[in-house]
Amino acid sequence: MFRVATGTRRVALVLVAILLLVLFLFPQQSHGLLHSLGQPIARIVAFPLWVLAGINQSLQEAWKGYVALGHVYQENQRLRQDIQSLQSQLNGLRESAASSQRLAALLQFKQNVGLETVAAQVIGQDSTNWHRGLVLDKGERDGIRTGMGVIAPSGVVGRVVKITPVSSVILLITDSNNAVTGLIQRTRDEGIVSGTLQGGVRMKYIPLLSAVRERDVVVTSGLTGEFPKGLLIGTVTLVKKPVDNLFQMAEIIPAVDFSKLEEVLVILSPYSLEVPAEGPAQNLQPR
Amino acid sequence: MKAIAFLALLVGLVPFQMTLLGLASLGSIRPDLCLIAAILGGLFAGEWKGLALGIVLGFLQNQFSAGDLWLNLIAKGGSGFVAGRVSLYVTNTSTVTALVVVLGLSTLTGALCLLVGLTDEGWTAGFYQARSILLPEAMYNTVVGAGLYWLLARWLPNGSS
Repeated sequence: MFRVATGTRRVALVLVAILLLVLFLFPQQSHGLLHSLGQPIARIVAFPLWVLAGINQSLQEAWKGYVALGHVYQENQRLRQDIQSLQSQLNGLRESAASSQRLAALLQFKQNVGLETVAAQVIGQDSTNWHRGLVLDKGERDGIRTGMGVIAPSGVVGRVVKITPVSSVILLITDSNNAVTGLIQRTRDEGIVSGTLQGGVRMKYIPLLSAVRERDVVVTSGLTGEFPKGLLIGTVTLVKKPVDNLFQMAEIIPAVDFSKLEEVLVILSPYSLEVPAEGPAQNLQPR
Repeated sequence: MKAIAFLALLVGLVPFQMTLLGLASLGSIRPDLCLIAAILGGLFAGEWKGLALGIVLGFLQNQFSAGDLWLNLIAKGGSGFVAGRVSLYVTNTSTVTALVVVLGLSTLTGALCLLVGLTDEGWTAGFYQARSILLPEAMYNTVVGAGLYWLLARWLPNGSS
C-alpha cells in the first residue's frame, strides 16, 4: 500500500519538503525569492499573453458585435429612415421657400403691372413636339379666353391659343407661329417679334435707318391688343442688316427662361389698356 | 379588366405625354405615345379598333396642343387604321413588322404635321424641322413602339384584343 521512495524520487521528495518548510518558516524571504525568480519568467510569458489576449479581445468584440448585430441593424435602419424623413422635410421646406419667393415676386409683379390678371401654374408641355407650348391649370372657368397675353415677372411668355374649362394651352413667343409687336426701348423703333425654329426670338421689319445695336432692350409696343406697352421681351444679341432688304432684323435673347417657368400671369384686362412705359418696364429689366 | 385598362390608357396617356415623358426627352424630343398606342392597337386588335383608339387619343392630344384641332385626330386615327390593315395582310406580325410600321407611319404623320405647319420661311424651315423634329421623333417612336410590341406580344395571350 505504501511504497517507499527510492533514488531520484526520494531526493525530489526531500527538496519539496524543504521548500514547504522554508515557505512556512520564512514567508517574507521566500516571497521575495519567488518574486525575483518570477520576473524574467513573467517577461517571457508576457509576450504570448499579449498576443493571445489580443486575439481573445478581438474574438470577444467580434462575438459581441455579432450578437448585437441585429440590434445595430435595426438601429441603422431606424436612423436611415429618420434621415430620409428629415431630408424629405428639408426638401419640402426648401421647395416651400422657393415657391413662396416665386409667388411673392409674382404678386409684387402683379401689383406693379397694374393689369387685371389671373395667376396660373404651368402643368405640362405641349402634347406634341411640333409646337413650343405650355399647358396652364386655369381655363375658361377662370375668365381666360383665346388670344390673351401671358406674362411672367421676367417678361412676356406668349399667348393663349386653346382653352378648356379648367386648362389652357399657350403658345410661347419662341414658337415660329407666334408674333408680337415689339419696340426697341432706346431707339423707339417698332418691329414684329416672332419665334424661330431654333427656339429663339427674332425681331423683323426694323427700319433700315434704325440705330439698333446689341444689348438694346426690346419691349412690347402695345399695338396688338393682348399685351400693354412696355412689357419686357428680351435683349438684342445680334443685328443683321441685309444689303438687299428694306428692313433690319435683330436676334433677341428672351428675358424669360421658359425651361424654368412654373407660374405665369394671364392678362385679363381689356385689350389696348395703356400702361406707362416706365412703370412695368422698370420691374422687367433683364436678369 | 380590359375595359379598365383601356379607360386608363385613354385618360392617362395624354397627361403622361405632357408631363412625365419630358423626363425621357432626348434633345427636347419626346416619343409620341399616342401614335404608338394607336399603331399597336391596330396591330393587335385590328383596323377598326386601331382607328377608334387613334381618333380618341388624337382628339385628346389636340386639346392640349397648340396645333390644329383636326391634325392629330386624323393622323392618329389613320395610323391606327393603316396598322390594322397591315396586320391583316402580313401573315405573322412580329417585332420587325411593328418596327417598320411605326417607322413608316411616324414619318408619314410627321410629314403631314410639317406640311400643315409650314411657315412663311418655306422649305428651308421645312427641311430644318424634318431634320430636328420629324426624323428624331420617328426614330424614337420606332424604338419605343417596337419595344412595346415585343413586350406586349409576350404578355398578351394569342388572339387577345
